[in-house]
Amino acid sequence: MTSSANDALEKLLANPRIWRGGSAMRNLDREGAGAGIPTGYAALDRHLPGGGWPREALMEVLVEGHGRGELRLLMPALARLSRAHDGHGDAGWITWIAPPLQPYPPALAQWGMDLSRVLVVRPRRQADVLWAAEQALASGNCAAVLFWPERTGGARAGDGHRARSRGRGPQAKASPFPSRRLQLAAEQGGSLGVAFRPASARFEISAAALRLALTRGEHETEVVILKSRGGRPVRVPGVFQFHA
Amino acid sequence: MLPSDRPPAAAADAAPTPSVDRARRKPDRPAQRALPFGDAGTGNGGRPERRPRPRRLWLCLDFPLLPLEALERATGPRAVVEECRGMRQVLLADAPAEAAGVRTGMPVPAALALLPQLVLEARDPAREAATLKKLAAWAECFTPLVSLEPPALLLEIGGSLRLFDGPHALRERITGDLERRGFSVASALAPTPRAALWLARSGREACVEEAKHLAGALAPVPLACVAWPEATLEALAGMGVTCVGDCLRLPRQGFVQRFGAAPLLELDRALGRLPEPRASHRQPARFSRECELSGEIDDRDLLLAACRRLLGELERFLLGHQLAVRAARFSFFHLRSKATVLEIGRRQGGGGLESWCRLLALRFERLDLPEPVIAIRLDAGHGEPRKGTTASLPFPGRDGCTTGTAPVEDLLERLAARLGTEAVHGLALAAEHRPQHAWRAARPAARSLPQPVPPDDYRPHWLNPHWPDPSRDAGRLLLRRPLWLLPEPLPLPAPGAARAAPLTLVSGPERIETGWWDGEGVARDYFVAVDGEGAELWIYRDRAQRGWYLHGLFG
Repeated sequence: MTSSANDALEKLLANPRIWRGGSAMRNLDREGAGAGIPTGYAALDRHLPGGGWPREALMEVLVEGHGRGELRLLMPALARLSRAHDGHGDAGWITWIAPPLQPYPPALAQWGMDLSRVLVVRPRRQADVLWAAEQALASGNCAAVLFWPERTGGARAGDGHRARSRGRGPQAKASPFPSRRLQLAAEQGGSLGVAFRPASARFEISAAALRLALTRGEHETEVVILKSRGGRPVRVPGVFQFHA
Repeated sequence: MLPSDRPPAAAADAAPTPSVDRARRKPDRPAQRALPFGDAGTGNGGRPERRPRPRRLWLCLDFPLLPLEALERATGPRAVVEECRGMRQVLLADAPAEAAGVRTGMPVPAALALLPQLVLEARDPAREAATLKKLAAWAECFTPLVSLEPPALLLEIGGSLRLFDGPHALRERITGDLERRGFSVASALAPTPRAALWLARSGREACVEEAKHLAGALAPVPLACVAWPEATLEALAGMGVTCVGDCLRLPRQGFVQRFGAAPLLELDRALGRLPEPRASHRQPARFSRECELSGEIDDRDLLLAACRRLLGELERFLLGHQLAVRAARFSFFHLRSKATVLEIGRRQGGGGLESWCRLLALRFERLDLPEPVIAIRLDAGHGEPRKGTTASLPFPGRDGCTTGTAPVEDLLERLAARLGTEAVHGLALAAEHRPQHAWRAARPAARSLPQPVPPDDYRPHWLNPHWPDPSRDAGRLLLRRPLWLLPEPLPLPAPGAARAAPLTLVSGPERIETGWWDGEGVARDYFVAVDGEGAELWIYRDRAQRGWYLHGLFG
């Protein structure tokens, strides 16, 4: 009786028109540990499908201002990616496009990043940021592409700290963020795209595989998973444990 | 001296040398007249007889219709006219015009009377010279020694015979290529350049490989092909001397007394008794070529196609010289306004035509052309030696083999082409204590300082709950550095001021006091601070000015 009911259920679920939210995650699990890029933070890995950042996908990090832990969140994975290349000079690059401040090489080296694999691109016009990001993502040369598509108030020299407390002015947006296009480019080139966007983008519709927000918690910065393909939205406290 | 071992002229004529292959059009030869004063023994000589080096072989390519063929191709009967003694005469007429009876030397009104729709074009010597140079550049793919003798080219092909399967195959290949390009050519092969030139001008498709057959081969060449001064030729014709063979039977001394030393020198050179130095045509080391458009063109696709053609020529030029260039400049000329210039640069020389075309298309679509274009010029930058790459055998199954990945240079070039070269850079460490000098922008993929390679499970020590752990981090830089550095330190409000944000010092101080030698000395105490929202800041107190500054964010 039960077995026949189970059979009927299996048959029903085998219908390709039925899609179950957990299946993507299970598929990833079946592929083994290589499915995700380990974040370096055990608390976060537990909540991400595949046990880490998605490969060949676009992710968005929503953060107000700069220096709120958005780089710290990614550095262990980026350092590993930069060192994972095979000595072949054409793959495994970490590309930074339009960083709002200067990424500081001594600190990157301290985190274990191979600086010979770092590329910094500073387009003069804001419109070129997305173009450069798409080129880099689709090229197949980059393991990760970090880009800042919207110039925030903190982009002025050294203003990052103030912008946070003051709040941000109205943002003039020319066109919506082309998340679908970038996601396709990331799939084509097999690289991880990371878009750093303001917190106001939280309620936009996005095709990114993963969307995170960094918000201020009670004692420290919290990571909120807003959208995760194959996972669940969840608030992850205690990711950063700095000064123990 | 005239050669004593040469057979008498009558014998040479009776038994034509076998090396004269075939005669396309045999010039009318006058009846042989025995010249009584042919004394072969007494010359002004004493010069040793010199045989040319055995492997010298010259191919002469004569372009008799060059004035016509150098001009733009148009349909219909055409003729090139030239001013001659105050009268415009037909210099050359093309085949349809000749069929209608238009002949060289005909006055223009007569030609027009014969053929009213005849298109008359003025002769353009500059254009002829340019065309010949272009042909010489093309001929350099067969031999390194190409010499100009307008309107002919002289190619020394002795060294190229093995590569191109012998003289006949090479000649057929060259003349076939030229005919496909629309040039009518007369060619001849001889061991000396002058003999090849005369034979080609005479219209004989001669192929003389041995110097000893030269005299026999040259004997029937009419003197009109020799291009001596008019007076000399008239005097010789008056004596009944009309071909080279007749000349050779004349006594040297009397010949020099009557006509000067130059004609005899040419005869000696033609026969290989004296060497003839020839200047080798050298292409300029830099590529510069113009493409004139048929009118004012503003169709961008057509312009792009013309640019591609120029790039193709550049590629062939570079291949011929084994050079590579990094920069190229297109100039688009307009009728009224100044030329628009488009420069494309590449990070590395070399690369195929395809990548140049991609770069060009990227830049061209953003180019602003104020007016229609009438001509395009392409100037290439400084050439550098071409570097070849060894292709590797692809083993797709093998680990670490990244087949299918385009070189990263392609990406860098695409980015640099649109954003500017200075907008794309890598990062490198510098051995400096001052934070703002401890790094520099570098060429991507350039390794500067040796960087310690951390183990796989490496985590920065401050993520360690038991921070700091000197035993684990021995030998590593223990002092934390922020991930974001501010371009300029930002002054913080004084601690007592109203707007001062409450900061808590977490660690420090780290004293950095150095750089007195270059005027940018610092004397600072660096601290790690946490602001009210939990963000970590890198701040310092300037020990000279007693102020507090924000210098970095730990991100």
